[in-house]
Amino acid sequence: MNALLTLFDLLLTLTLLGLAVVTVTSRELRRAVILFIAFGLLLALVWARLRAPDLALAEAAIGAGLSGALMLAAARRASGRKTSTGEDSDAKDAP
Amino acid sequence: MDPLQLLSGALLLVGAFFFIAGTVGLIRLHDRFSRLHALTKADNVGLGFIVLGLMPLAPDLFYGLKLVLVWLLVVIAGATGAHLIAKRALRGDGEDVL
Amino acid sequence: MSTSLLSVALVLMAGIAAGLIRVAIGPTPSDRMMAAQLMGTSGIGVILLLAPVLAVPALIDVALIFSLLAAVAVTAFTRRRLTNHGD
Repeated sequence: MNALLTLFDLLLTLTLLGLAVVTVTSRELRRAVILFIAFGLLLALVWARLRAPDLALAEAAIGAGLSGALMLAAARRASGRKTSTGEDSDAKDAP
Repeated sequence: MDPLQLLSGALLLVGAFFFIAGTVGLIRLHDRFSRLHALTKADNVGLGFIVLGLMPLAPDLFYGLKLVLVWLLVVIAGATGAHLIAKRALRGDGEDVL
Repeated sequence: MSTSLLSVALVLMAGIAAGLIRVAIGPTPSDRMMAAQLMGTSGIGVILLLAPVLAVPALIDVALIFSLLAAVAVTAFTRRRLTNHGD
């Protein structure tokens, strides 16, 4: 039981750290925003593991949900402005 | 070990299997629509079995109703999201296909 | 009983860690969003399993918020720009 809980904590922390590194080092706006939403979900999971359900609620609602949606809208406008002036687009991300 | 706990454990195992299958499908499949298919299976069936397995452990009726409410919301969100993503991919009108 | 709950939660956590691969390498943004949605659903499963293990029943409200915000994130992601593309 205790060893399982330690293993769970280790996996959670390693995933959170890897997600943070990938988020900070990503070059595209949209990719960074989606990774940020996933990071907020995992951070809420960490708060839930630490027996703080109110903090997990606030993190999931504000950190992952609302600011994630706002940042998606902002990233869309920024990329639209960049492509309309003819600079580099994120065309390498197209299917 | 009474039979109710045994049933609960079996249902939880089935749910975990569906989650594993969905994750493997999301990583291994090549087409976008196949990946969408794998994702929705993990969403609906996997979480449904996990909620069903947690149901005998619920302390009171209200908690059980909340469990069912979580599953219903996930099903609605999953269906809406899958339709939106598939429509966006079919029409090719997203911002990533400029 | 709580050992088996915790092992199922561990399996789901491994699924989240594996879904991170698809979020990181996914060729299109749709793939990334799908993987993020799977991570959210697995997170709901982990929270529902952790609530009896940690003896914190209030965690189910966190799961409710997770399930509400999954729809918000996907809808915000697939919204189109109305000014340029028309239609």
